[in-house]
Amino acid sequence: MKMFFSSFAEPLALGLSTGTWCAMYCVPVLLPFLLGRDESGYKKNSLLIAFFLLGRLAAYGAIGFALSRLGLLAMEYFDPVLARRLSSGAYLVCGIVLASGIYAGRCASCKTALSPDSAVQTGSRRPGFPAEFESNLNPRRNALAAAALLIGGGDRRVSFLSGMSVGFHICPAFWTAAFRSADSPSAAGGVLYFSLFYIGTLPFFLPLAGVPFASARRESLRRIARTTQLLIGAYFIIFAGFIPLAFGR
Amino acid sequence: MAVTAFFSAFMGVVVFFFSLSGNMGSPAHWIYAISMLAVFAAMIHTRAYSRWRRVFQVSFALLFMISFIGILYDERGSMSLTQDTIQSGEVPFCQIVIPAIIAPFALTGRVIFPARMTGHFASVMGMILLWFIATVTIGRGWCGWVCFYGGWEEGASRILKKPRVNLLSRNKDLRSFQFAFLFFVVLMSLGFMSSVYCEWFCPFKLVTEYAEISDLPSLIATVIFIGLFLGLVIVLPLLTRKRTQCSALCPFGAFQSLMDRFSSYRVVIDVDKCVRCMKCAEACSFCAIDRETIREEKGRPELTCAKCGECLSVCPTGAIRYEFSFQAASDARIRAKGCSPVPKNVPSNRFGAYFQAILDPQYLFVFTAFTFSVIVSGKFIPDAFIRIASIAFGGPR
Repeated sequence: MKMFFSSFAEPLALGLSTGTWCAMYCVPVLLPFLLGRDESGYKKNSLLIAFFLLGRLAAYGAIGFALSRLGLLAMEYFDPVLARRLSSGAYLVCGIVLASGIYAGRCASCKTALSPDSAVQTGSRRPGFPAEFESNLNPRRNALAAAALLIGGGDRRVSFLSGMSVGFHICPAFWTAAFRSADSPSAAGGVLYFSLFYIGTLPFFLPLAGVPFASARRESLRRIARTTQLLIGAYFIIFAGFIPLAFGR
Repeated sequence: MAVTAFFSAFMGVVVFFFSLSGNMGSPAHWIYAISMLAVFAAMIHTRAYSRWRRVFQVSFALLFMISFIGILYDERGSMSLTQDTIQSGEVPFCQIVIPAIIAPFALTGRVIFPARMTGHFASVMGMILLWFIATVTIGRGWCGWVCFYGGWEEGASRILKKPRVNLLSRNKDLRSFQFAFLFFVVLMSLGFMSSVYCEWFCPFKLVTEYAEISDLPSLIATVIFIGLFLGLVIVLPLLTRKRTQCSALCPFGAFQSLMDRFSSYRVVIDVDKCVRCMKCAEACSFCAIDRETIREEKGRPELTCAKCGECLSVCPTGAIRYEFSFQAASDARIRAKGCSPVPKNVPSNRFGAYFQAILDPQYLFVFTAFTFSVIVSGKFIPDAFIRIASIAFGGPR
């Protein structure tokens, strides 16, 4: 009974009780991205959420692997200062992914817009912000456009990369789960503990499956979401990434 | 004249209750009461609502700054926001933060702004109560009539007679950006559990309180505050004759636009009377009337209308008016069926005409909105008068 509690019930309960915090860190990244997608049905939307969560899991796996390789040395190197720097770096990367991925995989014209010839304005009407911004992206002159080309313009890739970078932002819930899993007598037990914790946090992402219900109805909402994604990307790069990394705030 | 007297008498009661009572011996409060009554009477009598509203709002913005900074000096001896003030949770709460605190509070039960919950003129509960009552009555009319920051832009936007930059074709983009910025502020406040708008983007720090410059990031923040104030509150309104900060960057303005459906009043455009001269679209300070709004005969301004009355005053045919929400909704339903709403009965006697006039939504909206102006300014304006007098003539306050 005790074994069942410590191996199964405890990590699940930990995930369920702290999942709000996971959602609070991840939803600001994921929600505008999902809302801004064109022609996003329930299936595509769920797939994007899955890629995001997979990215997050990959980041956790990478941290887990690093910790297991370090062993007791982790106690020496892995302190709150490093965790904060890691978080700032994660925000910086996430910001670049989000800002450069605002038009990732949107439509055929975007691919043209992202090509070196760029500055293609579709249709007879002048496109407004941020479509105008999109059409003026020239990878030769614009770092953001170059980053977009690097990402490759795929929705799934943006989703995976943003999930991965958010995963490197170490939140209190992650700390708790990581230390409890490190406490496990065997490596398999630790992985199981962390996996169950991770599963416990997933129900908080379920409401995001309903995003197409709102986004499919209004183009204006998708447009607002893409602008928000750009703003969040810029905020992550400058205020949550660069400034804390450079000035330690 | 009788209508002016009727509403002015009621406004007198409001002014007495919210300012004069308990301060009967104070000349500053008497000057305030008489000035407010005079502005209100002129507003009702001349029906130039927007002109007199502007006089009030610009004066209020300037006097609010004097009073607020004075209060800060009394309370903490400085205009700067220290770490002690933040940690002790004594930062004055302003309405702009309301949309940012809702989501974190709903999920964690924590108020992310370090302010007093009750017992202060700028406490969280006090401001939320005021916001709630304003929402169900005047809605986004708060921005056009009450906001103590909006007066800065209102004043700057009226310095030049003609706009040097025409923003009319950009209205939709500005509105879209404002909602995106609101969404951004809400999500980031949730993600970081702090009010990112106050930390980095508030242009009004310059005229209220600013973070102590103790390191390079706080210097960067101050530079951003100054840049936003000069750019969005002074220069752009001056060039465009629009309230650009209110139309593009104010999260509270966007939030109130969404909440406006719960308000009791609307601005409606009578499409039968409209001659499509576009004067309203050019005059609208909040970028709420596009060319498409008029061409497509929507019968109302866009979502971001702040009911400031600017369009009412420039409309050559009187096609724009304030209306009760339920009446506007009912008329819209009738129009959707392809019929015309039944015109109001013209009373046959003077008493009937008088009675109809005092129930006119135009007057009732102006009365309600100005009542809020009195409630919010009733403490600050007399206080500013006292502070100015004590500086000018010396002696204790």
